Amino acid sequence: MVENRSFHSKVRTLIIYLIVLLLGFSCLLPLLNILAISFSGSAAVSANRVGVLPVDFTLTAYDKILSDGQFWHSFMLSVIRVILALVLNLALTIPMAYAMTKSKKEFRARNIYMNLLIFAMLFNGGMIPTYILVRNLGLLNSIWSLVLPGALPIFNVIMLMNFFLGIPKSLEEAALIDGASPFQVLIKIMVPCAKPSIATVSLFSIVGSWNDFFSGLIYMQKVENYPIMTYIQSLNVDIQELLKSGASSSTLENVTELSNRNLNAAKIVVAVVPLLMIYPILQKYLITGMVMGSVKE
Amino acid sequence: MRKGFLTKVTGVAVAVSLLLMGTACSSQDTSSDATGEREAIHVSVGRQTLQNVTFPDGDNYEDNAYVRMTEKELNIDITDEFEANGEDYDRQVSLALSAGDIPDMMKIGSLDTLKELYENDLIADLTQVYEEYASDYLKSLYDSYDGRALANVTLDGKMMALPGTNGDNGPSIAWIRRDWLEQIGLDIDEDQDGCIKIEDLETVAKEFMSKNPANADNVVGIAFAPWLTSGDPDGTFSMNSIAYALGAFPKTWMEKDGKVIYGSTTEEMKQALSVVSGWFREGILDPQVGTRTWDDITALLANGQCGIAFGTWHIPGWLLSNVYALNDQATFEPYVVEDANGMINCKHNDATGGYIVVKKEFSNPELAIQIANLFYDTLVNDTSLLDKYPEVKDYVTNGVDGSSRPFNIEINSYTSLLDDYTEMMKGINNELELEEVSVLETRTNIPAIQRYLEGDVDADNWSRYHCRLKGVGLIQSVTENNKFAWVTPIFPKTTTTMETNWANLEKLEEEAFIRIVTGDIDVESGFEQFVTDWNAQGGAQIIKEISEQLQ
Repeated sequence: MVENRSFHSKVRTLIIYLIVLLLGFSCLLPLLNILAISFSGSAAVSANRVGVLPVDFTLTAYDKILSDGQFWHSFMLSVIRVILALVLNLALTIPMAYAMTKSKKEFRARNIYMNLLIFAMLFNGGMIPTYILVRNLGLLNSIWSLVLPGALPIFNVIMLMNFFLGIPKSLEEAALIDGASPFQVLIKIMVPCAKPSIATVSLFSIVGSWNDFFSGLIYMQKVENYPIMTYIQSLNVDIQELLKSGASSSTLENVTELSNRNLNAAKIVVAVVPLLMIYPILQKYLITGMVMGSVKE
Repeated sequence: MRKGFLTKVTGVAVAVSLLLMGTACSSQDTSSDATGEREAIHVSVGRQTLQNVTFPDGDNYEDNAYVRMTEKELNIDITDEFEANGEDYDRQVSLALSAGDIPDMMKIGSLDTLKELYENDLIADLTQVYEEYASDYLKSLYDSYDGRALANVTLDGKMMALPGTNGDNGPSIAWIRRDWLEQIGLDIDEDQDGCIKIEDLETVAKEFMSKNPANADNVVGIAFAPWLTSGDPDGTFSMNSIAYALGAFPKTWMEKDGKVIYGSTTEEMKQALSVVSGWFREGILDPQVGTRTWDDITALLANGQCGIAFGTWHIPGWLLSNVYALNDQATFEPYVVEDANGMINCKHNDATGGYIVVKKEFSNPELAIQIANLFYDTLVNDTSLLDKYPEVKDYVTNGVDGSSRPFNIEINSYTSLLDDYTEMMKGINNELELEEVSVLETRTNIPAIQRYLEGDVDADNWSRYHCRLKGVGLIQSVTENNKFAWVTPIFPKTTTTMETNWANLEKLEEEAFIRIVTGDIDVESGFEQFVTDWNAQGGAQIIKEISEQLQ
């Protein structure tokens, strides 16, 4: 009986594992395909012969990227942007979230601020007014146009605030009795306790600003100022659109010759690598963070 | 604080670079042109760029041989206000428009944008400066369109933009694998005039499928892109050539018996769909039509699964070249499909595409015309300019894309395609010295095609031979034999109902057509239903609005 049950449960586990593996693999498949295309010869790619394994293995695409100055320029721009945005986001999010944990008695305008935050989270001016604002501030073509409009991610503030609320109040009180200033409490008590949550917020910030291509399209007026994702997006050639706009035969030849699918695949792979490197570093915080946030006192 | 510092640094950098540019310009201005006596005029421009254009080292869109030549010849100083590719550029234009601050000169993509700029009073009237400054040759280029080119940009009697021209590219051509035809001994065109019937297409598709000359898996007779029809006469991977041969002009507004009609809703269109859906039943048409994408069809051709491709005269240069890349024995023969009377139906393109507008406040609007003179007249007709600027000559010979010119538009005479062909043939037959050839691209085409004909085949020779000699040659011979039956469509301005309903109507049309072709709905009743729905969902209203426009 017992053996039977354990056999059953083993089969069940096996089936579950199979399903999960299958699901996981189906998520991985498009990525593997891109990876394989980036290592394949362009003729094989245009003939749709590449699946998950490269055909006619070649490194020409990567060779070309190494010599594409704009790609690396945009890449570095994105790295700088991510760092700037991360520092700024954390510097604004953490104090804001901590202040918001205070009750109305300690922080009288708290509810006004909270309502402002929620209002700004739900409603915004829209693309054109934001653009005109950024333009009038003279930020066009500057890296700050990519960083400043999203300097305070409100969703992150609320998330962090809730996490701070979950930290036992006695910790804070003990520190205050020992003579710590509110700022010291924040730095020495709250931040170390909230490490997992801060890691999550950081990850959101990094991924968000690395992957965002749209603000680059709007605020950057020249391709040389594009961050990496905007640059990659702009390489995508819509031949049908070109045909409709009456592009000449030589233009089409230039475009199809230089912007082939395996080169673009290689660019995507290179652009994804930094994020793949960030995840393992932050992963341990993420898992503990989720468990810790789940139960409150 | 940090921000202030950075702004200061960039500010200083910009100032220094401006200073440097200023001195660079003035030091060049020792040549004594009429323009050389005044100070260099600063011109900011909006430029539509192209992905991956290869410039020589150090050059870019803002600073390249063409721009340097323009700056020196006209004593101006060009800076780019914004640059972007394709649709991203159109967005930049919209943003500039919404901020009410446009560059001194910029390219715009559509007449709707032109109208918006005009209504917001942001652009200058060019009528005067065009009359005064445009060279006779430039005027003759526009005039070769019988006034259609300038009429498009004339609002309330004022010329508000410098239009790029858009000549006729001829019909959609059926490119058939010649090596396969020879291999299986099939001759579909006995009189060698390049005109075949719809039935001939069927025969070829059937033969290719049964004989399978490339020994490929999953052969396909004829493949079409999911949208089936195209508004361009030469729509690549479309069924336009079959529709046109039956007298149907899909996605086209035209006037018939004094009434405005939409080509996709006509009786002839129904016949065309019924032919194609017949092919689907017989298995000649790709069974996966509707889900087979553009790239997939290219793959079919490259893999030798399919030997018939529909498209414009220059697809061998950039699309069929994929076939050559995998099989250097592949050759194509172009055919046009004739109607029951042996005529080739085709429609005219709109005469213009791409427009240069000048900011209303700009002090020297004549510069726009002078830049156009320089590129579309002097550079074409006066070879001494190339000797004066060897770097520009290098650009031309190395094929640096034309989008690097200050104005990314083309201004050609209406007959330029066939004129170039005639000149090229003279060169190939050694009736004309290479140095005497006026069109620069033709100078590259002639030796390449001569090499191809002598048996020296490479990718470049192959594509030039197929495009220029075969493709344009076919259009030329059909024109010579007076077999073209040209239709002049209406090119309406976007109406109010179009703004709200057009996207839905397009979707309705594409869905109905693909369902009819795949037999999901019956040709007769399905098409009738489509026409009723189309009219009810705004089509009838749009026709009314267009009729009002025409009055």
